[in-house]
Amino acid sequence: MNPLIFTTILMTVLLGTMIVMMSSHWLMIWIGFEMNLLAIIPILMKKYNPRTMEASTKYFLTQATASMLLMMAIIINLMHSGQWTITKVFNPTASIIMTSALAMKLGLTPFHFWVPEVTQGISLTSGLILLTWQKLAPMSILYQISPSINLNILLTMAVLSILVGGWGGLNQTQLRKIMAYSSIAHMGWMTAVLVYNPTLTMLNMLIYIMMTLTMFMLFIHSSSTTTLSLSHTWNKTPLTTTLILITLLSMGGLPPLSGFMPKWMIIQELTKNSSIILPTLMAIMALLNLYFYMRLTYSTSLTMFPSTNNMKMKWQFETKRITLLPPLIVMSSLLLPLTPMLSILD
Amino acid sequence: MMTYIVFILSVIFVVSFVGFSSKPSPIYGGLVLIVSGGVGCGIIMNFGGSFLGLMVFLIYLGGMLVVFGYTTAMATEQYPEVWVSNTTVMGVFLLGLLMEVMLVLYVLKSEEVGVVFKFSGVGDWAIYDTGDSGVFSEEIMGVAALYSYGAWVVIVTGWSLLVGVLVILEVTRGG
Repeated sequence: MNPLIFTTILMTVLLGTMIVMMSSHWLMIWIGFEMNLLAIIPILMKKYNPRTMEASTKYFLTQATASMLLMMAIIINLMHSGQWTITKVFNPTASIIMTSALAMKLGLTPFHFWVPEVTQGISLTSGLILLTWQKLAPMSILYQISPSINLNILLTMAVLSILVGGWGGLNQTQLRKIMAYSSIAHMGWMTAVLVYNPTLTMLNMLIYIMMTLTMFMLFIHSSSTTTLSLSHTWNKTPLTTTLILITLLSMGGLPPLSGFMPKWMIIQELTKNSSIILPTLMAIMALLNLYFYMRLTYSTSLTMFPSTNNMKMKWQFETKRITLLPPLIVMSSLLLPLTPMLSILD
Repeated sequence: MMTYIVFILSVIFVVSFVGFSSKPSPIYGGLVLIVSGGVGCGIIMNFGGSFLGLMVFLIYLGGMLVVFGYTTAMATEQYPEVWVSNTTVMGVFLLGLLMEVMLVLYVLKSEEVGVVFKFSGVGDWAIYDTGDSGVFSEEIMGVAALYSYGAWVVIVTGWSLLVGVLVILEVTRGG
């Protein structure tokens, strides 16, 4: 793609999310979502083959439906409150429709079906933008309407997302689909605590973005999209095998790595609000996630996975220079002692 | 009939929307879009918004739909699909018509519609009467406010349209 056009379109994706996060008028928020959607379609279709076209079409259809539902909720809110300011949603029907629309945008169950298929059909860099940047805008709107969200619907969607994210990722060998199911599960954790303490949602979003960024950059570094090609990392750059191990265990939520921080805080917040069964179930279902991360680490770092003999002497042209990889790795594994600094997020 | 004119126009509006949503060939979609645009203009005018209604005719039908018609005429196929040529299209069209008929019967029986939420009529645009400089209507003042207080909206909308064109060119150009 022409570099000037590509830069313009990428800046428009950024501008769309910024408009969503900064606007106080519901119509501008909707315009921001549409601008974001429109501009990310050519980024998803960077490589021009039928898979990316199909993935872009699926993404466009689901997100456009979600935008239409959002507009309907905005208009119902307008009818019942007479104003366009984004303070709280004044009508329970509008609140439910808006929550469903934003859940469709995030990829929460039962609207999660597009996430693995779209993530699998696009390149690794486009998948990175899809799974990290595109979650910021809907989550910011959920944060702003969090006082008026129906608790039952949101918690049901969250718990089912954690279950589907863990269970669905079990049978996958394609790395992009694994990251997609991981994204579904993490979105479930984020929305579960939204009604109780939205600050923890933001914390979880921050740490999730750091970890997902790190994972994708490690995949881009070794140009691997399947478990099998990831298992040849010991041959290309042996150092990244350790880094993959640490980052994957951090994503699984193991202490003493950073990924434990949001899960710990969320479980603590939920138990403070006298719900015991829910965080127990969530913690148990996070084990499913941990299982397929461990399977990846087993084949990548902990063993030299069996392969044919000519695979043991791989060479590649030149090592891709990945920006900011060392700081990202450090941040996605060593942030746990900084947990008392959470008070600055209030 | 004149008391129910908005209702009749809105029924024709919905039926023409069903007409193009059942996906015949774009030529026939454009035909019912013209009908729906004209009827929508009538609905807006019945609420007192003469300026916006004429704007629909001028810009939407006279600008955008004309360009759409020309491009569709350039890209048309030898046997375009009508509503009765394909079983699926006719089935969807009849289904939409059936749902509209049932909704009309429901509305005619009861005063207000209470499907998901209660909805019983909309208001009009307010008309201001300042003593010295004449009568202002709220809808024209809205358009004026768009270009003065709402400059940011104009900037965002203009940029979205520009990026829309760039995106469409990128997508159709391919690799």
